[in-house]
Amino acid sequence: MGSGDRVRQPGFLDRRVSRRDVLKGAALVIAGGAMGPVVAGCSSGSTTTSTAAPGGVTTTSVAAGAGAVKMGGHLRVAAGAGSAKEDLNIHAPALTIPSMGMRFNLYDSLLEFDPAGVLGMALAEELSPNADGTQFTVRLKSGLVFHDGTPVNADAVVYSFERILDPKNPGLAAKQLRGLAPGGTKKVDDLTVRFELDAPNAIFPEALSAYSAGIVPVGYDPKGGEGVIGTGPFKLANPGDFQPGVQAVFVKNPDYWRQDGGPYVDKLSFIEFADTTAMMNALLGGSVDYVQMIPGAQRKVAEGGGFKLLETKTGSWIPFTMNCSVKPFDDVRVRQAFRLIVDRPQMIAQAADGLQWLGNDMYAPFDPGYPKDLAQRAQDLEQAKSLLKEAGYDNDLTVKLTTSTSVSNGAPAAATVFAQQAKGAGVTVEVNEVTGDVFWGDEYLKYPFAMDNWGTRGYLAQAGFGSVPGAIYNETHWSDTNPEWVALVEEAFKTVDDAKRNELIAQAATLEYNEGGYIVYAFDMQVDAYSPAVTGAVADFSGLASAANNARYRLMSFA
Amino acid sequence: MPPLLRLLFIRLGLGLVTLLLVSVVVFAATQALPGDAAKAILGKDSADAARYQALRAQLRLDRPIVDQYTSWLAGVARGDLGNSLVGAGAKVTTLLRSRIINSATLVFLAALISIPIAILIGALSAVWHDSKFDNIINVGNLSLAALPEFVIGIVLVLVFGTAVFRWLPSVSNVDSLTPLRSQMTLFILPVVTLVLAVIPYVSRMLRASTIEVLESEYVMMARLKGLSESRVLWHHALPNAIVPTIQVIAISIAWLAGGIITVEYLFSFPGIGAGLVDAVANRDMPMVQALVLLMAAVYVVLNLIADILTILISPRLRTGMR
Repeated sequence: MGSGDRVRQPGFLDRRVSRRDVLKGAALVIAGGAMGPVVAGCSSGSTTTSTAAPGGVTTTSVAAGAGAVKMGGHLRVAAGAGSAKEDLNIHAPALTIPSMGMRFNLYDSLLEFDPAGVLGMALAEELSPNADGTQFTVRLKSGLVFHDGTPVNADAVVYSFERILDPKNPGLAAKQLRGLAPGGTKKVDDLTVRFELDAPNAIFPEALSAYSAGIVPVGYDPKGGEGVIGTGPFKLANPGDFQPGVQAVFVKNPDYWRQDGGPYVDKLSFIEFADTTAMMNALLGGSVDYVQMIPGAQRKVAEGGGFKLLETKTGSWIPFTMNCSVKPFDDVRVRQAFRLIVDRPQMIAQAADGLQWLGNDMYAPFDPGYPKDLAQRAQDLEQAKSLLKEAGYDNDLTVKLTTSTSVSNGAPAAATVFAQQAKGAGVTVEVNEVTGDVFWGDEYLKYPFAMDNWGTRGYLAQAGFGSVPGAIYNETHWSDTNPEWVALVEEAFKTVDDAKRNELIAQAATLEYNEGGYIVYAFDMQVDAYSPAVTGAVADFSGLASAANNARYRLMSFA
Repeated sequence: MPPLLRLLFIRLGLGLVTLLLVSVVVFAATQALPGDAAKAILGKDSADAARYQALRAQLRLDRPIVDQYTSWLAGVARGDLGNSLVGAGAKVTTLLRSRIINSATLVFLAALISIPIAILIGALSAVWHDSKFDNIINVGNLSLAALPEFVIGIVLVLVFGTAVFRWLPSVSNVDSLTPLRSQMTLFILPVVTLVLAVIPYVSRMLRASTIEVLESEYVMMARLKGLSESRVLWHHALPNAIVPTIQVIAISIAWLAGGIITVEYLFSFPGIGAGLVDAVANRDMPMVQALVLLMAAVYVVLNLIADILTILISPRLRTGMR
C-alpha cells in the first residue's frame, strides 16, 4: 500500500471491463480453483472454455504487478433490504444481507476461502492436523492487532471459540465445528492454539473459515454499535455510525494485517434500500458507487447507463424440498417423477431472468467430490407420468407448494413455473405464497412441498446442516429412511485422506441424485453493478455475502 | 366555561379513549400474527427449540399476553414507551427520534406548500369556472388524482434525478448524524411528490363548494352593495366555502402523517412508515405500539383542530352552540 497519489500504470484493472471480460474472468477464476474444475457445460453459453490452471488463477493479485492504486475516497455501497433487528455480533447469524457484508469487512477468521474457492490461511499462519483428524494445531501470524490496538493472540482465539460454543447462547458456527466442545480449545503458547475434538472431523479446517467463526478480543460483547472490535480492513469509528436498517459508515483500518490486500478507500458506507427501484435510482443518480445483487432484468439498465457489471457463478441454491416423511413424497417414484417434471432451462429463463446455471439435483457443485459425470437431468414428462402411475396416481395428484419472497426474490416465480410444468405430467400444484414471518414460522421444516435457500458450502458441511439425522434445517427428512447414505457421510467425516473422502462423497451424492428429496434445478449467478469510477471488484464463487464480490471492498478504489 | 373550551376537553377525553382502543386492537392483531420477536431475531435458527425458548424468556415474551399489555400500558402512563425487542434493548424513543423528525419535516413542508397553492387554485377555478384556465386545472387535477403517488414519484426521479436532468438527488436517504438543514435537497423530490398528490383533492373540494357559495344570496347581496369581486371572494364567499375543505385538508395531512410507505420506499426515506412496516415484520411490540399511537394521536388532534376551526370560521355554527 503506498501513500499519496502515484501515477497510475495501466494494468489489468485499468481496462474498461466489459461484460464479456467479466464472464471470461469468472470462468477462469472458478475453473482454476483447487475445488475442482466446474463442468464447462454448466456455464450456460459463456464465450470461452475454461482451462484449469495449476494452483488456480485468481484475480486477487491486485498489487502484484498490477500497478499503483489510488488511495482515498468514500465508497458508498447499496446493500439491499435491511432491518432494525440487525447487529454486528460476528458469532450470531447475519439476519440480513447488508449486515453480512458488514461482518466481512469488520472481522476475519483463522482461515478463509479466496475468490476462486481455494481454502487458505487468514489470521492463521499454519494449520497442522494429527493423523486421525481429532486434533488441529493452529499457529497465528505474529504482530496482528485488533481495532483497539490489543494483540491477536491465543487467549483471544480461545475466548472466541468458547463464546461460539457457549451452550446458553451458541453461535452460528457451533453446528459446523463438529466434534469441538466447550473446553476443547487449548492454548499452547501465546500464538498457538490446539483444537481437541471429541470425534474425528476431516473437514474441520473448512469450519474454521466460516465468517461466523471470526476472532474477537477477550471480553467482546457488542451491543448495537458499542464494542464492535475485530481485525477487519474497516472499523467502526463511533458506535452511532451503525444505524441498523438504515446505513453504516466504516473507516479504514490503518493496521490491517494483510499485505497488498487493501484497504484503499478511507470510508466505506453500506446504505440499505428496501426497494430495488430506489437502489437502481441511487446508482443512476450517483448517490451510491456500488450496488450489490441487482435483479437480472436491471442488467440492461445498468449497462445502458454506462455502469460496469460484475457477474459470477455461485454455489448458492434455491431448491424445491420434498418432505420424504409424508405422502406423497414418501414414495421414491413420486420424487423421481417430480424431478423429471422440471424444464430447467425454461425455469431459469422465466423465474430468474437467466441469472442461474444448471443444477443436477445435487448440492455443493464446487466440492472436489461432486460427481460431474452423472447425466444432466432434463424434463421427461412421459417418464414422470409413468412413474406416477406406478405409484398409484393417474392424473389425480394434487400437492400444495409453499414459497415466499423471503426465500428468494425469484422463488414465487419459480414455484409458478413449476406448477405450469407439472400440468404436463397430470399433477396439480397449488402455489401457496406467504410472507417471510409465516414461512420461517411454526410450519417451517414440516411443509410437504416447499422451497428453501442455501449458500455455497462443501458437501459434508452442507449435509451437516441440512441432511444428516438431527440436522437443524432438515427439510426433506430423507436421511431418516436411508441409513446407507448416513453411513457413507459418517465415514467421510472421519476420512482424512482427501482422495478417499472425495470418493465417499461422490457415492453419497450419487445416492441423493437417484433418490433424494431435493429438486436442485439451478445455482445462482449474481450480478453487481458499479460506477466506472470504481475499480478493483473481484468476482467470488461463494455468493455468501450475496454479492458477486463477497463484500471484498478492501480491494476497491477509485480510478 | 365557554362552550368551545368545553368541547375541546370533551373531545380530548374521547381522543384518549380512542388511543386506548387503538392500542388494544393493535396489540391483539400483532399477537394473532404467527411468530414473535424471538423468531424474527433468530430467523432460521428458531428451529432450535432450546435457544428459541431462552430468547423468549429473555425478551419476557413468556408472560401471559394480558400481563404484557398491562405492563406496557403502565409504562406509557409513566411516560416510558418501553424498549425495542429487537434493537439491542435500546429505548423506543431513542430509536424513533430521527425517523419522527424526518417524517414531521416532510409532512410540514408538504402541507405548508400544498395547502396555500390548493386553496388558490381551487378558488380561482371556481371564480373562472368553465374557462380555459379551469379546464386545464381540472384535467391536471384529475390526472394527478388518478396516478398513484409512487408513480408520480418515479416520474419525478426519472426527470430530475437520473434520466433527463441530473439536478436533484435520486434518493433521499437522510442521515441522522448530519444536521437536517444541510440535507434539505434530499427533501425536494419527496415533498414535490406529496404536494402533487394532495393538491388535487383539496383544490377540487374547494372549487366545488366555492362555486355553490358564489351562487348564494348573501354573495349576491355583497355584490349589490358594491364590494369589489376580490373582497366578495376572500371575505364573504371563501370563509363559508372553506368549511368542507378544512375537513379534506385535515384528512390529507393525517394521510401524510400516517407514513406514506410507498413514497418512503421509493425514495429510501427513513420515516415512520418504513419504520412501522419493519417493526411489524419483527413483531417488535413496543415499537409498533409507539408508532401506531403516534399516528392515531395525529389523526385525533387534526380532526379536533379541523372541527374547532370550522366552528370558529363559520358564524352560524358559533352562534348555534349556545
